[in-house]
Amino acid sequence: MSIPLKLAVVGGGPSAFYVVSRVLQQLPQNSALGARLRVHIYDRLWAPHGLVRYGVAPDHPEVKNCTSKFDETAHDPRVRFFGNVNIGAAPINPSPDVTNLPLSSLLPHYSHLLLANGCPTPRVHPALSLPSSVCRPALDVVHWYTSHPASAGPPDLSRTEHVTVIGHGNVALDVARILLSHPSRLEPYDVPNAVLDILRTSRVKHVSIFGRRGPLQASFAPRELREMMSLDDVSFTPLSQDIIERSESEINAVEKISEPQVAGGQTLGIGTGYSRAQKRMFNMLKSGSKAHYGTTPKTFSIEFFKSPVGLEYSSGPHSVSLKLSHTTLDSPGPNARAVPSGEFSTIDTDLVLPSLGYIPDSSFFADNLSSSWIATPGLSHVRNNSGRIVDTEGNLIRNAYVSGWAASGAKGVLARTVEDARVVSSAIVEDYTKSSTGDSVDDQTQSSVLSTSPEITLDSIPSEVQIGLERGAVTTYEDWKQIDAEEIRRGQEEVVIGDLKKERQRMDWSSAKVFLSDVRDKTATSSS
Amino acid sequence: MHGGINRPEPGTGLKVHFKDSKGNHIKTVEVNEGDSILEIAHEYDIDLEGACEASLACSTCHVILPPEYYDLLPEPGDDENDMLDMAFGLTDTSRLGCQVIMKKELDDIIVTLPAATRNMYVDGAKPTTH
Repeated sequence: MSIPLKLAVVGGGPSAFYVVSRVLQQLPQNSALGARLRVHIYDRLWAPHGLVRYGVAPDHPEVKNCTSKFDETAHDPRVRFFGNVNIGAAPINPSPDVTNLPLSSLLPHYSHLLLANGCPTPRVHPALSLPSSVCRPALDVVHWYTSHPASAGPPDLSRTEHVTVIGHGNVALDVARILLSHPSRLEPYDVPNAVLDILRTSRVKHVSIFGRRGPLQASFAPRELREMMSLDDVSFTPLSQDIIERSESEINAVEKISEPQVAGGQTLGIGTGYSRAQKRMFNMLKSGSKAHYGTTPKTFSIEFFKSPVGLEYSSGPHSVSLKLSHTTLDSPGPNARAVPSGEFSTIDTDLVLPSLGYIPDSSFFADNLSSSWIATPGLSHVRNNSGRIVDTEGNLIRNAYVSGWAASGAKGVLARTVEDARVVSSAIVEDYTKSSTGDSVDDQTQSSVLSTSPEITLDSIPSEVQIGLERGAVTTYEDWKQIDAEEIRRGQEEVVIGDLKKERQRMDWSSAKVFLSDVRDKTATSSS
Repeated sequence: MHGGINRPEPGTGLKVHFKDSKGNHIKTVEVNEGDSILEIAHEYDIDLEGACEASLACSTCHVILPPEYYDLLPEPGDDENDMLDMAFGLTDTSRLGCQVIMKKELDDIIVTLPAATRNMYVDGAKPTTH
């Protein structure tokens, strides 16, 4: 008898659900292979859906519609979800309700592994090392407004007039948009009341968003930029003529060297030229905000060709002064690198929020088993070949896969995760189908960390997880659906304005735990 | 998981031909006026995701149309273009499937799915010896 496909998934975010959904679809339950398929999704947080719950900005509720697909996936009887289980070498969350399970205790129960644990760690900048009251990762702000279990608490906005965000990606724009929005705009959305209360005390007047390259190299998405330009009572500091001219000459230079690819399909946005997105965003930056600069109580600016080199406390009207090195590009084009121009400048600001990219959780890869899977230098992603994990020696780790940001590095929106899930699910299903027909894979180039026993029990789980389930610390998908419904119900009780109700009132773990225990008590009473 | 639309009596509906990214015919289906390409794809099990459920917040229902059909549609708005900008393999005649609503003039439209996968990263594996 061949081994079953008993898959442990580390991380319960979108890439996990998209890959699992496609594996289930390709191996239907009524097929011989599909009958021997089981999927156990582990998340270190108590709630599933990863960045869809704890990353997507609250004023983007449509992006969260993908959870109906995740519900459908979790509903398959072959799938189980275990929340509050931290897989890895070092415990990250001090909560007594989190079960810490080393990889070595997990793997003997499974024949296959999928790492879908993303890039949860913000990159740090050596020049930006002051206490969190004046400098903290932009991700802290996201954790705060989403009530992430690892939130380090709110920023002190009552003493902050000028905010500096460093980085030109969507996290930077999300954070800037939330800090500049009038709280009443956010009330109908999934923003906790405690967050709205802090935003009501905010004295933020201006947000500067710095990047070391130019308008044509920014990693924003057009939608995020358009939203910034359309905010009520907020205007954009117009681009300087110098920046506009530099960018226009870059476009001309690049278009001369990269002939448009006209033949066959007229593909836009590939090759060495600027993509349609980059050109449209440059036009948005040139046109500026809907509200005229100078007519609004709040403003923001997007600053180019500047990179932080130092941060110190200031005796002036603002808390700190940030020293910036000016840069220029080594060549025109979307992949140009920033090089120092030799000039420097300094700005005074109250709060610095770096958003310089995100990397995998190094504590997970501190394990002997997994330390050779992470790409060095940079630690930006798990080494893989179309989703199949390879170690630093180039050996395939048999039946071990990686998807989403853990595989690609922290770039791209949900659509990319969906596309990559096709590749990874095909790899899993192809390898499994081959191995089950005895079409053996070459053992010489593969090392194995998972169970290869055909006798592996399809429905077994590690005893630590079983104990956690029994004491109500480990959560199931059914628990989550109860909480999901209750959060929506509590939101509906709150009238925001007119007939408009709040989308949901999200719970943290302490209130979710109380709620779940009440539900269990009621079920026990009614059945006795 | 179907599109929530009604299928017309055979022989009475508008025709939609689906092709894969290489131009191979997948299937031809019959549909009613007012159905969107995304709903049609879901109804007939064509592999088109539609993650945001037609709310213009993603690009996962990106399709490519023949120029003569593309020109029969109203221009995409800023919101749709913002999402198309994030689509892999964007072309001059790309649209979001949720925004293409069937009407009589679109009868016999050919809908091409974009390349399903970009090349995923390769960190190097030892060549397999056989």
